Amino acid sequence: MKSLKPATSVLKQGEQKPPSNPQQSTKIDKYKIIYSKKAESEFFVDNSALAGFTGERILYMAVRELIENALDSCETFSILPSIKISLKTHDQSNDLWILDCEDNGTGISSDKLPVAVCSFLTSAKYMEKQQRGLFGVGLKMVAAFSTKDTDFPIKVWSKSMEEADECYFELRTDIGTNKPIVLLKKQQHEAESQIEGPSGFRIRVVLRARLLPITKNKIYDYVTQTSIVNPYAFITFETDDGVFSFDRRTSIMPTSAKEILPHPSDMDLQTLKKAISKYSGQKISLPKILCYSFQKLSHEKAKEIISNANLDFDLKDTKISYSEHDLIKIVNICKKTKFQNPNTDHLSPIGREILTIGMMSEYTIVSNKNIETMHSSNSKRDTVMANEVKKLDQDKDDRNIPKIETHNIGVYKSNFSVKVLQPVLTAYTSRTGVINNRPTIIETGLAYGGDINSFKLYRFANKIPLLYDEGSDVAREVVSEVEINKLGITKKQAKEQFSTNKESKRDRVFEVLPIHIFFHICSTKIPYKTAGKESIASEGELKYYMKSCLSELYRKLSTQIRKELKLMEAENKMKLYKHYLPFIVGAITESLGIKNSKLDESFSLLIENHLTKKSSVVDYDVVNDSEPNPDLASAPSLSLSHKPVDLKKRKKLAISNNVSEIKAETIKNTKSNKTSSNSKSSNSNSSLVVSDKPKEKGSVYKNKHK
Amino acid sequence: MSSEKKNEVILIIKKIMKKISEDVIIQKQMPILDLPKIGYDNTVWSNEKRMLTIGDKKIEVSPDSVKKIPTFAQYLVMANAIKKLLDEDMESTIRGMYYATLSNVGDEKNRQKFWNNQDNSDDAIKAVELLTGIPREEFSVTSKPKGMISGPIKLRVGGDIIDCNLGSRSTSQLIPTNIGDVQIDDVKADFVMVVEKDTVLSNIRKSGFIQKYNAILMTGSGEPDRATRIMVKTLNESWNKPVVVFADADPWGLGIALRYKIGSESLSYDSDRLVTPNAQVLGMMFSDIYEYNIPEVARLTATDEDINRANDMKKKPWLQNKKWQKELNLFLNKKEKCELDAFFKHGFKYLAETYLPQKLRQVGLI
Repeated sequence: MKSLKPATSVLKQGEQKPPSNPQQSTKIDKYKIIYSKKAESEFFVDNSALAGFTGERILYMAVRELIENALDSCETFSILPSIKISLKTHDQSNDLWILDCEDNGTGISSDKLPVAVCSFLTSAKYMEKQQRGLFGVGLKMVAAFSTKDTDFPIKVWSKSMEEADECYFELRTDIGTNKPIVLLKKQQHEAESQIEGPSGFRIRVVLRARLLPITKNKIYDYVTQTSIVNPYAFITFETDDGVFSFDRRTSIMPTSAKEILPHPSDMDLQTLKKAISKYSGQKISLPKILCYSFQKLSHEKAKEIISNANLDFDLKDTKISYSEHDLIKIVNICKKTKFQNPNTDHLSPIGREILTIGMMSEYTIVSNKNIETMHSSNSKRDTVMANEVKKLDQDKDDRNIPKIETHNIGVYKSNFSVKVLQPVLTAYTSRTGVINNRPTIIETGLAYGGDINSFKLYRFANKIPLLYDEGSDVAREVVSEVEINKLGITKKQAKEQFSTNKESKRDRVFEVLPIHIFFHICSTKIPYKTAGKESIASEGELKYYMKSCLSELYRKLSTQIRKELKLMEAENKMKLYKHYLPFIVGAITESLGIKNSKLDESFSLLIENHLTKKSSVVDYDVVNDSEPNPDLASAPSLSLSHKPVDLKKRKKLAISNNVSEIKAETIKNTKSNKTSSNSKSSNSNSSLVVSDKPKEKGSVYKNKHK
Repeated sequence: MSSEKKNEVILIIKKIMKKISEDVIIQKQMPILDLPKIGYDNTVWSNEKRMLTIGDKKIEVSPDSVKKIPTFAQYLVMANAIKKLLDEDMESTIRGMYYATLSNVGDEKNRQKFWNNQDNSDDAIKAVELLTGIPREEFSVTSKPKGMISGPIKLRVGGDIIDCNLGSRSTSQLIPTNIGDVQIDDVKADFVMVVEKDTVLSNIRKSGFIQKYNAILMTGSGEPDRATRIMVKTLNESWNKPVVVFADADPWGLGIALRYKIGSESLSYDSDRLVTPNAQVLGMMFSDIYEYNIPEVARLTATDEDINRANDMKKKPWLQNKKWQKELNLFLNKKEKCELDAFFKHGFKYLAETYLPQKLRQVGLI
């Protein structure tokens, strides 16, 4: 104890005295410690990595934060999101970019707006429910970076639900004090109005950053993946490469999350004190306070807990103040007591329908290099497809879509364009469990075949795409550990029959399959591995649930895979058998010692007729007989392999004929937003959807034969 | 082989080909090759003939499905190859036929072999036998010789005489597999003794058994080939020589012994030419293990497979006499088996000079 005394005295001295002359530096000055307080804004700007704003990721994070805010703002009040975001070079020599984002969300009322944009740790989202943003940092970070690196004001237009007029602000952040500086504030009347809908929010900032190609791709990935899990959002993304439109493919929205009370097993001293202080002054007994403040806690149960805690005061006395020693006893008892599982009303999973729609029309931005190498017919088809989807949507819910100018789907003037991938089959399954003391919903989806030609893993947490650190994510482990034979095929078959790239040296077999796997984890406390929030740790039973989901998806796909295997086998045999004909004819003519050219011709005709007749009987349900078959008419008679063997065509026809048109059905359901997502009520639910492309049947058919 | 027979075969093959060609060109109908099914499910026991015979199940091979076209092609290609072999007056083993017809089917992308392995081509040879109704010996298609014979018998092969009695203390003659070209000339022996393995045969031969008992010694060296079976049958039925068979005391050995006596499932279509119903299986009985005090160290423990086989055998109609049921029950109880070679534990001459004579005396052959 003695040795500590001088040290404390030094500390006091240091605080009291102004800094002494540095030349007079004594031994004491050398150990002087200065304590000072930092504004939140300064702290976050200095430690921008905490919020993910590092070096080349600044633009990526900025785009991300703005889109997430926009979506959150719409979803809270079940508004179908329409988001226009643009990222364009402003001043190339100084690395200046203009980032502009407009949404049709609730907007922010004019008195709160400057603080909401500029002051760190100010948020409307501090509550127990699933949202994309949580901390009140993202938007402020964008504002602070703009203030820090440029002399441009942050321009904000907002039309709040509560106010009649649109408000226009020019703002900057006072980083030293965490307060907004309002340069300009004015009411915009209808004529100058920027926001068309009943409400909305638009922000335009200038940022200084370098955009490396890899980051640019990440931004594109981010936007496209967002559109997969938010197929109910209409997003246009404008960059120097052109305008990319991501159409709204459904008007069903996930049930929005509701704020809930904390679960008692998650109680700690802080939450308990907060609960009590909330009701202080009101004549409410402690058990009542508990059952008002926590879920799954009846009055009886609360009483029981308190009596178990052996507190020595009168429960009916509502005026006493509780000491922390008493309260911790209650916390301890709660940790030991068993409660009902927490409810999941505060979570908003994507749901089977919506994720399926997202998976069935995956938008991706591709560089045209890739397009050229693909079938020229493919891109044509996609445009047709996309237009169809758009048309369909507009027909069905014309009213719901605000008149945002739609750009052409493919912008071919640049190197990039939007492409829609349609899989042959999708499957969905989900699990609900408690991870990290929080109820967690795990949703998984799988899209297979069709336009998908390679393996890809998609990870989402609370509907936010995770793009970095895939290698260390639990999803990657899960994919590696679930055996491929759950798909009903062996590794060898996977490599030989399903691989789109035969030369691929990857030894992990699943990576040669044309499947996209989607993992979505919803929780108010996602077990992120790092502060960057890019990969999820294998916490508790999370991995177990994920594995069981993936196994289930694989099992569902196996029927399709087996069917394809059979078809492939048949096709291979078909191709081969015509090569047997010369052996047969050769043996006969050689034995008889006579050349009979008629034999060859007659034999191949005979077999061909026989087989086509037979296969059209067998596959009556898949091969449309009324379709003209250009092959039979034009091809020489010896080519036996054509008609019945076109695997892809058969597959597609089979699917289009047999399966109900799920997409059309889901779209019909549009107006009822009440469609509750099934995953909440049952512990696991799942679906298997096969996509249908009835309209393009003909075109596919022709393309295959060119 | 006489040129007459050769021409007969060629003619039949040509007829088959002609029929197919006419079906296709003139009748415009699918050609069908009709042949009896081969295998355990089309093998029936004939009480009258006392042998396994082929049932009346048929298979139709026709190029009417993707699955059957390769088989159809294989049969025709094999038939044509056999015709060519005869045209050229050559001889070939079944392996030779496999190589002669070996080729790849398909293009760069989809390539497979015309035969997956020699079993396929062997099956095709069988099919040609069945289609033409002529045994393969008469096609000059043979297998590697492995049967052996020693003793007072003369064979005439291609104009030369092989005297199997010459040097019969020290050596045996291979039984030619082109048995169609072999004639038996002169048989002076009193009986024919067939043993399972050539090692046992050479031991018995060396002891002077042939001279002492005036016997012909034969072995199929394990599973007997067709030539050996035909030779045994001919000696028994054309030359009236009693035939006794000795094999190891295990279900496998008993199975081999029964090949001579009742035939086999895979060759049931040809039993009439191959099976010797009068052959007697004398040993080695399971009871001999205990009667002749084979020491425990020389006995072997039966495997699960042995047990299953024995259980199967117990149900077979041809083993429904008391003696065999007793033997099999003994085996199933003791779960012990034994090779003929185990008698060497009693001394090198014990098998030839004690065991075999005792067994033969029991049936009155010596």
